[in-house]
Amino acid sequence: MADNGTILVVGGGISGLTVALEAAEVGREVVIVERNPYLGGRVAQLNKYFPKLCPPTCGLEINFQRIKKNKKITYYTMTEVEKISGGPGDFQVSLKEMPRYVNEHCTVCAKCEEACDMDIPNEFNFGMNNRKAIYKPSEMAMPMRYVIDKSVTGTASQQKIQDSCPYGAIDFSMQPRTFNIDVASIVWATGWNPYDASKIDNLGFGKVPNVITNMMMERMASPGGPTGGSIVRPSDGKQVNSIAFVQCAGSRDENHLPYCSYVCCLASMKQTTYIREKNPESKATIFYIDLRSPGRYENFYKKVKDDENVSFVKGKVAKVEPGSDGNVILTVEDTVGGDIISQEFEMVVLATGMEPSTASERVPGGSVGYDENKFLLPGGDIIPAGVAKKPADVMTSGQISTAAALKAIQAAGAK
Amino acid sequence: MANANLIQPDLDFVKELTVEGGGGESLKKCFQCATCSVVCNVTHTDRPFPRKEMVWAQWGLKDKLLGDPDVWLCHQCSDCTAYCPRGAKPGEVLGAIRKISIQNNSWPSAIGKLVASPSGLIPLLMVPIFIFGAVILGLGRLNHLEGPIVYEKLVPIPAVDAIFMTAALFAALSFFTGIKKFWKAMLDATGRESVRGSVVPAIIAALSEIIAHKRFDKCEVTSARASAHKLVFWGFAGLAVTTTWALVYLYGFHLESPYSLINPMKWLAFASMCSLLYGIYKVVSNRKDNAEKAGEGSYFDWLFIWLVVLVGATGAMSWGIRLLGIAPLAYLTYFTHLVLVFSLFAYAPFSKMAHMVYRTTAMVFAHHVDMEK
Repeated sequence: MADNGTILVVGGGISGLTVALEAAEVGREVVIVERNPYLGGRVAQLNKYFPKLCPPTCGLEINFQRIKKNKKITYYTMTEVEKISGGPGDFQVSLKEMPRYVNEHCTVCAKCEEACDMDIPNEFNFGMNNRKAIYKPSEMAMPMRYVIDKSVTGTASQQKIQDSCPYGAIDFSMQPRTFNIDVASIVWATGWNPYDASKIDNLGFGKVPNVITNMMMERMASPGGPTGGSIVRPSDGKQVNSIAFVQCAGSRDENHLPYCSYVCCLASMKQTTYIREKNPESKATIFYIDLRSPGRYENFYKKVKDDENVSFVKGKVAKVEPGSDGNVILTVEDTVGGDIISQEFEMVVLATGMEPSTASERVPGGSVGYDENKFLLPGGDIIPAGVAKKPADVMTSGQISTAAALKAIQAAGAK
Repeated sequence: MANANLIQPDLDFVKELTVEGGGGESLKKCFQCATCSVVCNVTHTDRPFPRKEMVWAQWGLKDKLLGDPDVWLCHQCSDCTAYCPRGAKPGEVLGAIRKISIQNNSWPSAIGKLVASPSGLIPLLMVPIFIFGAVILGLGRLNHLEGPIVYEKLVPIPAVDAIFMTAALFAALSFFTGIKKFWKAMLDATGRESVRGSVVPAIIAALSEIIAHKRFDKCEVTSARASAHKLVFWGFAGLAVTTTWALVYLYGFHLESPYSLINPMKWLAFASMCSLLYGIYKVVSNRKDNAEKAGEGSYFDWLFIWLVVLVGATGAMSWGIRLLGIAPLAYLTYFTHLVLVFSLFAYAPFSKMAHMVYRTTAMVFAHHVDMEK
């Protein structure tokens, strides 16, 4: 029986962290469960984020500090919820923690990374580069500790890694661990995955070189990204001076995601500022059906529009083909001009939308409802927060999460 | 505001398209993203279709659509429909616009309304039933059917020919006025008084394109449709030659049917029939296979398809049952065949068969306008 009124927050991204802090800072016990080896979620992958266009270091760092200082919060990384039983006020939750093979003695000295001779694709950078099989999840990871990809076990590299650590932090004897906790309420903040662009068969992703997604662009522009922050072409490393953004790539499309993801227009506008600042000779074009810049974001739209090197073309790109020299040819009907135009760009960014994580993995237990797009509905035993509830930017996710924290406190009952 | 363009929507036209069974029920889902114009393989790149037709239809701009050759350059490949993010089915909507275009162009339009509506089916079939029934009963032919099966015994060939010639003449007249009206509408829509120069080169260009199915072959989602259409097309062409051949035998050489099975005319007839039947079977099966991506098709489409199926089937059965010697069934089948053939040709200007004429006209116009440039 969870007589302490503990709140379980599933998902350690910006929404989950917000819920946890709001609840813990009014005195509740909170447990955060995160699948990745780090906290911070999708925001950690961004170069800059709205509304202030600050890098994730500023927003996440503060939250990490608050978590570290708050004794009410316990968090588990590399951990998933396996099963939920019981109901509000009295949930029994089974958790499974995967082995990190690196213990708390790690000082992030990087000797292991130097010794490791096995490379694996860097998922944090969407496979745009490789990383060592023992790696620091990101520049600002929390916990700041190395993690070992389990594919290294049983290879020659395992011993080299083991031998390299002067602190005894490497522990290959770690095993997956299943354990149970009792909680009074559960907040589901598992966020989203970028829509799989290769499913959009006419937009060339995975087939035409130099077609990337908006999240890949975030990593590319990020100082900790695969190119150290240079916006260059994946195929030949050439600096990108002409770039196109394809809006609604798989969004508002009943063959893919039928809804608007709310953030992609602003994300593309934001990304034009990345390239305009980094490559001053560059020109950017945004192809759109309708542009969305809700509320005060209208000012940002005006600012981007004032840049004469950024143009907007009303018409949805429906054909993407390889051009000369690694360029990409987009075909679109300019619905204002009324003609079909084919234009060549050095790189193309598909503004793909957000698919709730619950579309691929449902909540394992508890009474919970989903809308037709598999976002969580409110009113069930499990309280949704952030993008698990609806497509939202960071600011709105914060608002949803604060509201979810209050609901979770109420559901957990008097302390 | 002197140059303001006052849009005058024809709301009845919008209703006619979007009403249940109108064929354009999905029209209002379109949000003008223009995916359709880009994925279309048969459109031209300046002022492409079908995105502009979708907005014209939503706005009720009937005159613009009736004078728009692009409505007919569309072959309903349905690539647009498959990729449409809204399920607005541009391919089906343009098909529905063509139906209304047919009704507007072909005289008298009252028959067009009957053909387009399921409730018109019985009255339309009653016409040939009555005509052939009157000939059979009036000449007392039912009493002289003993002995070997010879279809001439049921309806005298000259009577069949006279009736079909009249029906063909009527159809030709209707098509002639229809082409004139359609041509005028296309001139008006493009702000022309007349076209410059001879249209013969454009006619040659259009016909060679049609014979080779050049545009049709560009369809992707429904790529199999072109080959099915070729089979039906060549089946009909073969049967037209057969018919002419038979007329020459009868009136030129006074040779009476039925003809021997080793007569080459029979071989052509048989080959054409097989092509038509297999082709139309493929048309039906392709439509069933593509329904999820391309849409179900309208009553108007299916009426024409089933008419062709039944004309082919009753034609083949008339032959087969005659050879088997089952007299009453053979005559009944032949009678049905006559009724259906009459319907196919007399109502051609009002059914989907009219696409043959109006699409050709639109292609000629489009080629001519291109050549003017």
